[in-house]
Amino acid sequence: MHNQNLLLHKTVVYGLSTLLLIPILATLIYSFSSSWGATMLPDGFSIKWYSQLLTDPRFIEAFARSLFICISSLILAMVLVLPMIFVIFYYYPALDKLMNILILLPFAVPPVVSSVGLLQLYADSSIQLVGTPWILIGTYFTIALPFMYRAISNSFSTINLRDLVDAAHLLGASTTKAYLLIILPNLKKGLLASTFLSFSFLLGEFVFANILVGTRYETLQIYLYNMRQTSGHFTSALVMTYFAFIFICTWLATRFSRGNE
Amino acid sequence: MSYVKVNQFAKSFGDVDVFKDIDFSIEKGEFITLLGPSGCGKSTLLRCIAGLDNVDLGTLLVEGENITDLAPQQREIGMVFQSYALFPNMTVEDNVAFGLKMNGFSKSKSRLEAKKMIDLVELAGKEKFYPRELSGGQRQRVALARALVVRPRILLLDEPLSALDAKIRKSLRQQILNIQKELNLTTIFVTHDQEEAMLLSDRIFLMSKGSIVQQGKPEDIYTKPANEFVASFMGHYNLIDADVANQWFDISTSDKVAIRPESIYIREKGRQYGEHISIAKPGVVLSHQLLGNVIRYSVEVDKQQLTVDLLNRSSERLLTKGAPLELMFNLNEIQPVRS
Repeated sequence: MHNQNLLLHKTVVYGLSTLLLIPILATLIYSFSSSWGATMLPDGFSIKWYSQLLTDPRFIEAFARSLFICISSLILAMVLVLPMIFVIFYYYPALDKLMNILILLPFAVPPVVSSVGLLQLYADSSIQLVGTPWILIGTYFTIALPFMYRAISNSFSTINLRDLVDAAHLLGASTTKAYLLIILPNLKKGLLASTFLSFSFLLGEFVFANILVGTRYETLQIYLYNMRQTSGHFTSALVMTYFAFIFICTWLATRFSRGNE
Repeated sequence: MSYVKVNQFAKSFGDVDVFKDIDFSIEKGEFITLLGPSGCGKSTLLRCIAGLDNVDLGTLLVEGENITDLAPQQREIGMVFQSYALFPNMTVEDNVAFGLKMNGFSKSKSRLEAKKMIDLVELAGKEKFYPRELSGGQRQRVALARALVVRPRILLLDEPLSALDAKIRKSLRQQILNIQKELNLTTIFVTHDQEEAMLLSDRIFLMSKGSIVQQGKPEDIYTKPANEFVASFMGHYNLIDADVANQWFDISTSDKVAIRPESIYIREKGRQYGEHISIAKPGVVLSHQLLGNVIRYSVEVDKQQLTVDLLNRSSERLLTKGAPLELMFNLNEIQPVRS
């Protein structure tokens, strides 16, 4: 009975994994094939699509823009979230419940709805924000917030914050020093894991990028969208490059979240 | 002038008084215990002395200096927490040296002083270990070393032994006591364990519902409870109503009377209690420990050191170091054992 169950579980897991891997594998083969039209197998293999992609200045620029927006959003999120969580956990622990509700809001409203709302809100603004990277950074910050808050607050709950800060105070450290020398190093695991997770999520975000900024500031997602009419081999190489990058980020996130165990 | 003086300390959370009218003095080098049940305000009182919480009323003087409004960083008070509160990202050495670095000591001087303190708490060789790699007893010794290395004027111990198992607790409390005596540290210890309080303290302040209900030497608190609460908290006192006590003992009291179990002798009806099977040997008291209902003497007889337990029947019988005595050996209790 037990063996039968195990066999069934294995079949389901391996079957599903294969099913999910087939499109990625096909895209990978397609991205390396010189041409693959009316035949069962590709005519030949080549890295020309990758070299064409990696030498395209438009791709490099879009990639750099995406990196700039994601990294800026994450830095903004970190700068605001880290001291905020410390204040909440050390001085006003009751506010944690409120924060848990607030951080769900970006997910409660569908991106299409909130992006239209943001467009309306900032369309009449005296400062030109729509179509600039700044509005995207602001929006991405709110999306990164839940990931970061949850992971970092989990790290906070594993340390005895009050006693650690009190001990540091009694040994002569100011609150700032206690935070920088004792609390922050103990949050490293949660912070890095949530940063890489948010990063890979934001790098692939399309709806906000398309509606709020679009081609006026071409990011990687928009570039990918705009190149859909060109060669399928080329877009496959683009998708695989993107996948590889996301995979590295996710792998790093998993590695850091496991920590020293 | 007292070394530490707490004057009319009071604190409340909203309408609830945590403690009030707390008034006591401590001499230099004294080991004081705040003893009481959970929620009696002893830990909050300790936090207020450390400056980690504010008092609503009252003053705290150390060596005549009013430190009531000073920040914890400026009070020169060391504290050991129940949760150890060791910095998880630092090694034993860095944990112990932290206070020195914060106080402007050079790196080499900090290392040297930390090393001395690590040796004192018998953790030499563990300098590069992280707290997660140590046992509970070792962690608490690191916490003790970290608190002591900055040479605090007062050492506060907030239930430092309660998270440890019985065996480690016994050895660590002896170690704490030895270090406290060696460094002549003025120490305030918080516990709810009366045995620990009796063993360690020069004086005990027994707290209930935010007030000190009795203070004094351990043997005084144990043998002369001021009220029913003290009697019930300090041991297994028999409490007898006044009218019954008056009738039994031919006394005249309107209060309940408390009688310690070990002060009552049992005589089997019809049995002869002769001393013809006993042998007497003269000896001298080396030291004594009060374990509550039992007094543990260390006695020297013919250059042999013997441990003798005596039921704590009354304070008048407490024999101090050097007191001559006679040990009675019951021949029936002498048991040959193989090597």
